[in-house]
Amino acid sequence: MRAYLEIAVRKFQDKMAYRLDFFMGIVNTAITIVVYLCIYRALYAGASEVDGITYRMVATNFVITLGLSNAFGYNEMFLQDKVHDGSITNEFLKPVSFTLRLLAENVGEGAFKLIFHFLPALLFTLLHTRLCPPKSALHLLAMLGSVALGYLILWLLSFIIQTWSFWLFSVWGIITIKNVLVSILAGTLLPMWFMPAALRRVIACTPFESIYFTPVRIYLGELDGAQLLSGVAVQTAWIAVLGLAAWIFWRRGVKKLVVQGG
Amino acid sequence: METMIAVEGARKYYRVAKRGKGLTAAVGQLFNRKYEIKKAVDDISFSIKRGEIVGFIGPNGAGKSTTIKMLSGILYPDAGRVEADGFIPYKQRKQYVKNIGVVFGQKSQLNWDLPLIESFELMKFIYRIPREQYEKNLRQFCELLDMESFLGQPVRQLSLGQRMRGDIVAALLHSPELVFLDEPTIGLDVVAKEKIREFIRYMNKERNTTIIFTTHDMQDIEKVCNRLIIIDKGKKIYDGSIEEIKDRYTNVKTIEVLLENGGKETETFDVRRTSVNAVLERIFAERRVKDISVCEPEIDEIIRDIYEGRLRLDAPSAEGGAL
Ligand SMILES: Nc1ncnc2c1ncn2[C@@H]1O[C@H](COP(=O)(O)OP(=O)(O)O)[C@@H](O)[C@H]1O
Ligand SMILES: [Mg+2]
Repeated sequence: MRAYLEIAVRKFQDKMAYRLDFFMGIVNTAITIVVYLCIYRALYAGASEVDGITYRMVATNFVITLGLSNAFGYNEMFLQDKVHDGSITNEFLKPVSFTLRLLAENVGEGAFKLIFHFLPALLFTLLHTRLCPPKSALHLLAMLGSVALGYLILWLLSFIIQTWSFWLFSVWGIITIKNVLVSILAGTLLPMWFMPAALRRVIACTPFESIYFTPVRIYLGELDGAQLLSGVAVQTAWIAVLGLAAWIFWRRGVKKLVVQGG
Repeated sequence: METMIAVEGARKYYRVAKRGKGLTAAVGQLFNRKYEIKKAVDDISFSIKRGEIVGFIGPNGAGKSTTIKMLSGILYPDAGRVEADGFIPYKQRKQYVKNIGVVFGQKSQLNWDLPLIESFELMKFIYRIPREQYEKNLRQFCELLDMESFLGQPVRQLSLGQRMRGDIVAALLHSPELVFLDEPTIGLDVVAKEKIREFIRYMNKERNTTIIFTTHDMQDIEKVCNRLIIIDKGKKIYDGSIEEIKDRYTNVKTIEVLLENGGKETETFDVRRTSVNAVLERIFAERRVKDISVCEPEIDEIIRDIYEGRLRLDAPSAEGGAL
């Protein structure tokens, strides 16, 4: 456990070394948020609410969703590159789990971006836009936990596709499709509230709703009490399902490598 | 001495997709793939004692890397028994790898973007190396391999020789008792090679590390090893000391002829089968000779002759090699 923590901390520190990256990350996140807020302000055109959703709720949704999705990005071609150049076998020579090590590195990078990209961009947004406060300190806390679960779901989706590099020549296309699907179905383009009812029923059966929207609703207090618990339970269930799938693909990929030699 | 590695009848056959020519073959392949079996390691047995230092040589594709991969647990043998340091490497990988060090000369394990020293620090966490041990090893290794000057440079800026030294140190910082080095001198200049040889010798002598390494360079073997294993086409064809292999071929001579037209020819033969007279007579009859010298073949030449099938090692040493 200690080793993985150290790995995450080191990745965090590595990121600090790149100052240009640091400023670009803030600017990038801030611009994305501002652009979306401008579009939706125009769409609201002074109306106090649309379908019972205020502009301030939409703004809050976007700040959280876009801020997190910017922070949660990392190199998703990592495993494929390692499989292609054969250096993946080196990883089996280390007395640590490659999967957990990769997760630790990605988490370290995410933590860095949350603190140094997302927080400054959030402060900048607060200068010009009023956002909804969390329903209570407890809701904020629950939301942070839910964000961590959402991250795991997103990470597992990516990891599962990455493991396909053991069989496919390139997973780049599939990763791209996955990312488009996430941005549409997880609500980074259009807030989940405004999705057609039929589509929302479909999304409710997929892991996408659990990534960003569940944390947003917890923060706003839309999910409360039993609903909050069930939202978190659904997230946990997705982690279990995706985690199992990831484990199976990973085991089979490794087996292919060690039995057939690549 | 205690046995460190025991390999018995190990085999590794790769399945390689067979490719036909032309479009029909390509389409056919989509539905009905044909496979060819490549016998990379074909019934190899040997055992190595703790503290030994053994060199593996063999031509390209002989099966050296495949053997190292089976020994280090990243490849399952198809048949036979492989045991090392009391473990079955491919079955007990997590436990086993804590106490071994592996370098694949053709594939760096270092992080390309980070300074070399950072990759070393990472090893400290991954192997949970106690701080004192880490610092002592790092200091000592850096001194022996003359690395202080480039510890802070990103790995991508290092020369091949510097990178290789970095890879070797990274694999040894946790003081493994068993070390595999797959072509640790490939592509290096004489000075870098010598440094690495010295280091390998030191690790073996002073720390009693069991070391197995592969190479194409007979000098590596002569200067470092006390035992040599030759592999060819997946089979072990020699296992013993270098002296022994030389002794077996004291009766083998090489005649080097410098021709009047400036050409140069060599002929290797066994003096007990073919008399020097006969060979010389033939040469003088066929060629206009400017100069001639008779010498014992260098170990490199013996090895080359073995690969090329001109000398056979299975002949008992009393009779010497067959020409
Ligand atoms: N992953 C693989 N798939 C198929 N064939 C392989 C694979 N790895 C090695 N081989 C083949 O097995 C043989 C032995 O390879 P290797 O052990 O790398 O030889 P060496 O290290 O002695 O040069 C070669 O003919 C090589 O082409
Ligand atoms: Mg090789």
